[in-house]
Amino acid sequence: MNEGMVSADDGATHGDLERSVSAPPDQADVDRTLSHEEFDPKGTLALILVYFAILVGMWVFMYFVEFLGNGLTVVG
Amino acid sequence: MSTGSGAATFVDRYPEEASIVRQAFFVAFVAFGLGALFGVIQALHRTDILRFIPSTDYYTVLTAHGVLLVIVFTIFFLVGLFQWAITRSFDRPVEDIRITKAWLALMSVGSVVTGVTILLGFVDEVGISADVLFTFYAPLQAHPLFYAGLAVFLVGTWIAGADWFRSWLAWNAEHPDDRIPLQAFVVLTTMLMWYIATIGVAVAVLFFLLPWSLGLIETVNPLLTRTLFWFFGHPVVYFWLMPAYLLWYTVLPKIAGGRLFSDPLARVVFVLFLLLSTPVGIHHQYLDPGIAESFKFIAMTNTMFLLLPSLLTAFTVVASVEHGARQRGGTGLFGWLRALPWRDPAFTGMMLAGLMFAAGGFSGMINAGMNINYLVHNTLWVPGHFHLTVGTAVALTMMAGTYWLWPQLTNRRLYSRPIGLLQVVVWFGGMALMSNAMHVSGLYGIPRRTAEPQYQGFDFSTAFGSVAELNVQLAIGGTLLFVSALLFLANLAFSWGNPTTSGLGQTLPPALSGPDDSPRVLDNMRLWAAIALVLVALAYALPLGAIVADSGLFGPGGDAYPVTVVLNSVAVTAERLTASVGATLADVGGVLEVIR
Repeated sequence: MNEGMVSADDGATHGDLERSVSAPPDQADVDRTLSHEEFDPKGTLALILVYFAILVGMWVFMYFVEFLGNGLTVVG
Repeated sequence: MSTGSGAATFVDRYPEEASIVRQAFFVAFVAFGLGALFGVIQALHRTDILRFIPSTDYYTVLTAHGVLLVIVFTIFFLVGLFQWAITRSFDRPVEDIRITKAWLALMSVGSVVTGVTILLGFVDEVGISADVLFTFYAPLQAHPLFYAGLAVFLVGTWIAGADWFRSWLAWNAEHPDDRIPLQAFVVLTTMLMWYIATIGVAVAVLFFLLPWSLGLIETVNPLLTRTLFWFFGHPVVYFWLMPAYLLWYTVLPKIAGGRLFSDPLARVVFVLFLLLSTPVGIHHQYLDPGIAESFKFIAMTNTMFLLLPSLLTAFTVVASVEHGARQRGGTGLFGWLRALPWRDPAFTGMMLAGLMFAAGGFSGMINAGMNINYLVHNTLWVPGHFHLTVGTAVALTMMAGTYWLWPQLTNRRLYSRPIGLLQVVVWFGGMALMSNAMHVSGLYGIPRRTAEPQYQGFDFSTAFGSVAELNVQLAIGGTLLFVSALLFLANLAFSWGNPTTSGLGQTLPPALSGPDDSPRVLDNMRLWAAIALVLVALAYALPLGAIVADSGLFGPGGDAYPVTVVLNSVAVTAERLTASVGATLADVGGVLEVIR
């Protein structure tokens, strides 16, 4: 990666690091390169499991408490 | 231009195309500013915190807010971004810049005609109005110019799509063995979806609503126009979303310091959106009489399948960001989150947008369930939901993406990155308040699309807190969103005053798992378009046939509602509404829409 990457923060050049020009000048540099084989997205799995648990919990609340728990509303 | 070193920006390499992108963004942001103003007026009005317009004008404000934001802002940003993506990823100029200018001009003229027709609703003396809301189906009737402008706008988007397909064909002739670059792949699949989706709205407008508004036909079948609207009305939400996805998949990993985790998975996601976006529209009509429950059940099943590409996206995008974090030295199961560039407004904006989208996914699941939908149908819950999705996932990503794209399109730096960061955080905070208040209000039964949801002799019962607290929360949230919109527009306006600089060019890194890891059939646009059309036919042929068989193409009769409500005529309008309730069963659904 990083081919042709150029830093451009406030006119200063910080080597060939990959940066965002909308980022602050002192953003942390990329300090290692991870290939597809070296990278195992365990953190992503953990976040998604947390999200899934929240989803299930909220759905159970919505269905059993809010939906089934409320009586009919009759107008008129 | 000052001297410097660095890669060429997009505007260096393709000045004419960059100009098109800037013009499209300009129209988008003008609409955004106006739409945001109308938004805060509504937030303060319906909560009865500050009312400086008559309630009869509320529906003009509501229509302008909806159309300017979800048609003009989102779609002009989309065409700008897609033009950038096509030119950048094929690495070739447009085939004929005159065509490109023509579709942008058509879209702009159409938007101005429709926009002005809506805004004339404020001037009673003119007698022109289009207070039909973004969901502009019968029996609400607008001035013919509203529909004509929409039609011109739509034709503009069709030519834009054709322009991009032409670029693809020209590129393909020179690169017959290459895989379609991912950004172009997103554009092409999205535009195929758009062509299929807009069949519904084009038929509704050209064959029914426009002739009806012109007086050429006496009546329309309200259920038919509603169904045709929602044929378009659900895929359009994915049309808004795909530019955000394009940025999440191709720009966000780079800003995070990483690379896209999987190009093949991304392609699968966009193919699934092409296939599943349209045959689901009936899930907006769970309470419509005249559509059999079984058709609604099919729509619900298809909708639940749509969760799949969204969850695949959650995985791929978060994994790509995690890759960036690990490359930046992040460690631990959750500790890597600290290594991300949170001070970058482009990064933080997109991440907060993604977080809101996750919450919107939950409320969307509630909307999509046939039974549980009854709990929230036509309540303030629904606007609460789509302010998380289009109002934040899409809008905030577009603003954050603009911070990153701005130097590429102008060779100018952003005026202030800290203001940009503040802006995206204020948007997130404002939306958290407003959307939460809307969802909770909806659970208590407070209706949407209502200027004065305060009723004599009736109070909404709340489980905890009070409606007054929710109203304050909603109003504060809406005000913060307006402040955030102003900060965004001001930051960009001041950025235009920055001197041009060289060396701002950025390139996008290739994916960790590239396109060659996926089967070539994924790039077969004809195949996916054909399957998408078959699915649409399966989902819609029978319900549409049943609707026409029941009440005919033009319905059983009934009055139109040119909602030119002027002061003092509200009672007359209400009388007409009430009188018509008994007219036809098919009308009832539509009339309820008006009342609500």
